Amino acid sequence: MNFNSLDTVQPKIFLRLYSVWYRHFRVYTKNIVSNGIPPFIKPLIFLAGMGLGLGGYILDIENMSYIQYLAIGLPLSSAVFAATFECSIGTFIRLEFAKTYDSMLTGSLSIENLFIGEIIWAGTKSAFYLSAVLFVLLVCHVIPMKATILFTPAIGFIVGVMFAPLSLIFMSFVKSINTLDFYLTGMIMPMLMFSGIIFPIANLPKWMQVIIEIFPLVHAVNIERALCTSSFMVSLIWDLMYCVIFTLVATYIAVRRIKKRLMY
Amino acid sequence: MRNLIAVKNVSKTYKTDSDKKFKAVDNMSFNVEETSCFGFLGPNGAGKTTMMKMMYSRLERDVNVDSIIDVFGFDPTKNPLKIKFASGVVPQEDNLDEEINVFQNLLIYSKFHGMSKRDAGKRIDELLEFMELSEKKRVDVRTLSGGMKRRLIIVRALLHKPRLLILDEPTTGLDPQVRHTIWNKLRELKENGTTILLTTHYMDEAYQMCDNIIIMNKGKKIIEGSPKVLLRNNLEKYVLELIKVEKNLLARLDIDKKFVREDNIHKPLCLYSNNFDVLRKIADALQNGEHYLRRTNLEDLFMKLTGRSLNEFQ
Repeated sequence: MNFNSLDTVQPKIFLRLYSVWYRHFRVYTKNIVSNGIPPFIKPLIFLAGMGLGLGGYILDIENMSYIQYLAIGLPLSSAVFAATFECSIGTFIRLEFAKTYDSMLTGSLSIENLFIGEIIWAGTKSAFYLSAVLFVLLVCHVIPMKATILFTPAIGFIVGVMFAPLSLIFMSFVKSINTLDFYLTGMIMPMLMFSGIIFPIANLPKWMQVIIEIFPLVHAVNIERALCTSSFMVSLIWDLMYCVIFTLVATYIAVRRIKKRLMY
Repeated sequence: MRNLIAVKNVSKTYKTDSDKKFKAVDNMSFNVEETSCFGFLGPNGAGKTTMMKMMYSRLERDVNVDSIIDVFGFDPTKNPLKIKFASGVVPQEDNLDEEINVFQNLLIYSKFHGMSKRDAGKRIDELLEFMELSEKKRVDVRTLSGGMKRRLIIVRALLHKPRLLILDEPTTGLDPQVRHTIWNKLRELKENGTTILLTTHYMDEAYQMCDNIIIMNKGKKIIEGSPKVLLRNNLEKYVLELIKVEKNLLARLDIDKKFVREDNIHKPLCLYSNNFDVLRKIADALQNGEHYLRRTNLEDLFMKLTGRSLNEFQ
């Protein structure tokens, strides 16, 4: 047997990123039943609670019933959670307990490859979560079908690649898994509450609106609402640009932080 | 023979939680010849793993103008991928993906090296057979024994036909059968031209496997060389261990101290000598107490060099 000849060619960057994505994909889909069903169940619980309960008490918002308003925002919250859990608790477990990165980094992967691949995987997972929730809401006729809705998985992906590096940055400071709670309650919960998912932010005090604009979620919400209602404004270009720039900057910082934690 | 690895003046300082600095590796220098087996020995916390990790670019060494790590012509700081692509690593912990089966674990890993599915499939079958794991191909990793997991990680490290195999305590916690199997396989790899770097706590492992060893303590190199030569040059041939210490034993038996070296700092009392008959005579004259007369081994040398008491990491 030949042990010692380099008859394969060193993999190109695309293949290296794909190999990381593929690893996460295979491990996730191994338990497809337990991993894949929850995103479909969440909107059903929501519909039961809203349709039978809370919805009746609340007035219409922006020319639609409250349940419809909320239903358009709901898939985004699923996308946020998918990427956030993947790259906070998931990453922490892979880093500290399962030692997955120790094994992956013995392959032909740099730390940059590894974590950019992971962010792309988180984007994919968010796209899937968003699509699953939206699918159920469409099938149940909670949201009327529009052709532009078919583009919303892309928003799921964008939310994923924004929240994955953001989570990685926080994770890079964390020594004990309990500390992650600060991030979830201090950062993620306020964003979900005040980004136009549950109620419009237009009526909030001006100073609050300024702060909200700084955070990434509101921009994704703007784009998603436009796609779901097929009503577009010029300001969406700014929203999209914000998402792209935020992703690039956050990814750069996240990879640098993680590299420092892993290599020094 | 050509050097495959050259390390010069390499140090590694960690910042601990309390912002204190801790020097894990302190000014190490050594060379590793091609197709040899090179071993790092030392107590826990001596810096063996850190040294290895700096070589395959898992850790960054301290910045220092005259510090060099050269692995087949590449610097791990500048060209990590070139080094990783030609090296296989067996880390200290078993970090396989437990939920998926043996084949899937290996297939996923083969992608990290950019192997095609067809090449990987063929190579996986070859290596599973080589490591005697063929019948476990479709078994979930969590059901494997410790010895099987260890062998599987060696298979994983060999998938892309590396020139250099780095093993961090490959046989810790394994039974003698598995250890001997792994040793035989490693010898076979070496004969086929693979250079092997390993850390170990087992002195017999180092003695049997390694052409050259370094004994490290507290981040520093203490001694380097072939285990047989080191043993011959640094220690007497025989040792008599005495559990119960008898005062003035040598005087009572009228034995000249120039034939026997006494190490009485720790228990058991050890009498070293190149003259077997002298030690035999002492052993025979003992009135009571257990004793053990034997050839000295690498462990005695290790203890002599690194001390018998525990350090703060052990």
